[in-house]
Amino acid sequence: MNYFPDEVIEHVFDFVTSHKDRNAISLVCKSWYKIERYSRQKVFIGNCYAINPERLLRRFPCLKSLTLKGKPHFADFNLVPHEWGGFVLPWIEALARSRVGLEELRLKRMVVTDESLELLSRSFVNFKSLVLVSCEGFTTDGLASIAANCRHLRDLDLQENEIDDHRGQWLSCFPDTCTTLVTLNFACLEGETNLVALERLVARSPNLKSLKLNRAVPLDALARLMVCAPQIVDLGVGSYENDPDSESYLKLKAAIKKCTLLRSLSGFLEAAPHCLSAFHPICHNLTSLNLSYAAEIHGSHLIKLIQHCKKLQRLWILDSIGDKGLEVVASTCKELQELRVFPSDLLGGGNTAVTEEGLVAISAGCPKLHSILYFCQQMTNAALVTVAKNCPNFIRFRLCILEPNKPDHVTSQPLDEGFGAIVKACKSLRRLSLSGLLTDQVFLYIGMYANQLEMLSIAFAGDTDKGMLYVLNGCKKMKKLEIRDSPFGDTALLADVSKYETMRSLWMSSCEVTLSGCKRLAQKAPWLNVEIINENDNNRMEENGHEGRQKVDKLYLYRTVVGTRMDAPPFVWIL
Amino acid sequence: MAKEGLGLEITELRLGLPGDNYSEISIWGSKNKKRVLSDMMTSSSLNTENENGVVSSAEDESLPVVKSQAVGWPPVCSYRRKKNNEEASKAIGYVKVSMDGVPYLRKIDLGSSNSYNNLATVLENLFGCIGLGVAKEGKKCEYINIIIYEDKDRDWMLVGDVPWQMFKESCKRLRIVKRSDATGFGLQRD
Repeated sequence: MNYFPDEVIEHVFDFVTSHKDRNAISLVCKSWYKIERYSRQKVFIGNCYAINPERLLRRFPCLKSLTLKGKPHFADFNLVPHEWGGFVLPWIEALARSRVGLEELRLKRMVVTDESLELLSRSFVNFKSLVLVSCEGFTTDGLASIAANCRHLRDLDLQENEIDDHRGQWLSCFPDTCTTLVTLNFACLEGETNLVALERLVARSPNLKSLKLNRAVPLDALARLMVCAPQIVDLGVGSYENDPDSESYLKLKAAIKKCTLLRSLSGFLEAAPHCLSAFHPICHNLTSLNLSYAAEIHGSHLIKLIQHCKKLQRLWILDSIGDKGLEVVASTCKELQELRVFPSDLLGGGNTAVTEEGLVAISAGCPKLHSILYFCQQMTNAALVTVAKNCPNFIRFRLCILEPNKPDHVTSQPLDEGFGAIVKACKSLRRLSLSGLLTDQVFLYIGMYANQLEMLSIAFAGDTDKGMLYVLNGCKKMKKLEIRDSPFGDTALLADVSKYETMRSLWMSSCEVTLSGCKRLAQKAPWLNVEIINENDNNRMEENGHEGRQKVDKLYLYRTVVGTRMDAPPFVWIL
Repeated sequence: MAKEGLGLEITELRLGLPGDNYSEISIWGSKNKKRVLSDMMTSSSLNTENENGVVSSAEDESLPVVKSQAVGWPPVCSYRRKKNNEEASKAIGYVKVSMDGVPYLRKIDLGSSNSYNNLATVLENLFGCIGLGVAKEGKKCEYINIIIYEDKDRDWMLVGDVPWQMFKESCKRLRIVKRSDATGFGLQRD
């Protein structure tokens, strides 16, 4: 390829879009590395502490789109203290200083402040797309800056963030000249919404494809919005309570019928289930349905809705659907690829909402299923073996039996064989979450068969260090390993230090690793950040004479090329 | 649950110090940092009759429900968990309150009340009356008006008998009656 001019090679590279592939071509030779880095527009950084913005910009000066992830996954479950880190401000400041032409910013589990949003909105003339997922630290004032200053804003997508709602007028901060919106998702906002401003905004946004409303948008407003936006593809309904005979409801029914491009439906944060029939006319077009926040939709109304959705590819639902409901899904949704069943009762009321029967039914009825997240009360090895046989194409398999350490409820055996069958059959499995009673045996299977596994979540499982060793030795593609409440200790941790260079990160909490083990690891691997998160006794770990053998509560280690981070709070000890 | 009594506990794998018998999880950290499973996991004391799944007795009413569960378990993201809790408490919500002799009804947010005394105060303010009280067990009832409520079974019950949380969940509507009229409802109080 040396006889092609650079421009030709660059043109060819334009067709290579996935991060993996672009990373691969940059390794071929020096000249390709150079061409690739100048033509790279999109960069994905899975751990914001693995690199710093200065080095990022040195390598990719033509950056247009940046994705950053901050806190480790277990932060979702309150296992990481709020002040741990993941601040986006230094990144935005650096990008602003470098005058790179940033157009897209996508953040997950990061701390975002109003100041950073303000700076973002003022620094990049062509800024188009802001996607914030599971972030925190900002208010609607920050959103107001984005609305006011980003003249070409295309996407404002806020997913499951903790936003302080100042009930301000952020929606009215979009200037009248702003007509470029394609995505507007503010479902996670808690406060009131300026409905007039919203309606005007939607009316002047002919390209609007995705609109997800918050709870404060009532049915009559929804009706008016849908009349303005019949081109909508993705709709998140806010409030859906109404008297079925009212004028708004009839108007809504008429408007919905015109939304022939509608493919994705979500929300129903407050719902009057008997009104769902207004959506039946478009259900046959739906490919995605997310009712996982619609606690009031269940029973026959839910079933009737689903029976109309024959083309569904993605379904997120609460376990109140029951096994019987899942059987309806299995017989109706033959195109189903992704299913998530969330628990509706987190307080452990003991209502047997879904069991292994629902899972088996789905696996039998939906041949295209490749991703599943399933919270259930009970499971059996036999069911998992059947599921593995029915669906050998799983890419993501996440099973959460609500009660930790629960065995096969029929045989009282551990679920090793069941999960073993899954990893053996599903040769493309990339993500796996385990639960129930599990011994070292399941890890033997995982190490042996899960060759493509990149992410593994372990909780309350295993017997000895051997379990963890099977995984570390066997899973060559492991990227993220997260373990809680399992008896793995220093022996497993230290067995192969070089393994961690091939991984993005390792999380271990409430395991058997000790402080001296972590210290030894940090010594052997200076290219790792080994963080000990110890919220309770800041200094006890150091002072105590027996410190070596003291167990570490939370360990988070990750590879990095920029050394120890400077923004760690006092309770995080980086060895 | 079906396997209780088969003596299989001895073969169970569990985390914990020897001799530990599913003691309660310490959420806020303790000398032994191990997390052990609470007796919520296997004991039958967790059944639907218990309010909110709290296993322990009245002294724990002030503690959050999370006491009987592992931190961050089940692994539901905190945003979703918050929404779930909001749904659960929303279910309590507003109830109608009528007062004898008053031609219109009022509504109060039972979900935002936190005790019987608080409720009595709120009702007093609402109807501008005094001498409203929650009858206490064993004490002589000195109030002019007493509060009764309609429960899920459509029975009229005297407010104050059951623990606050249980009352909140079963109360469908409230009524303030004159004590002198109370005998008509089968209340044996003096």
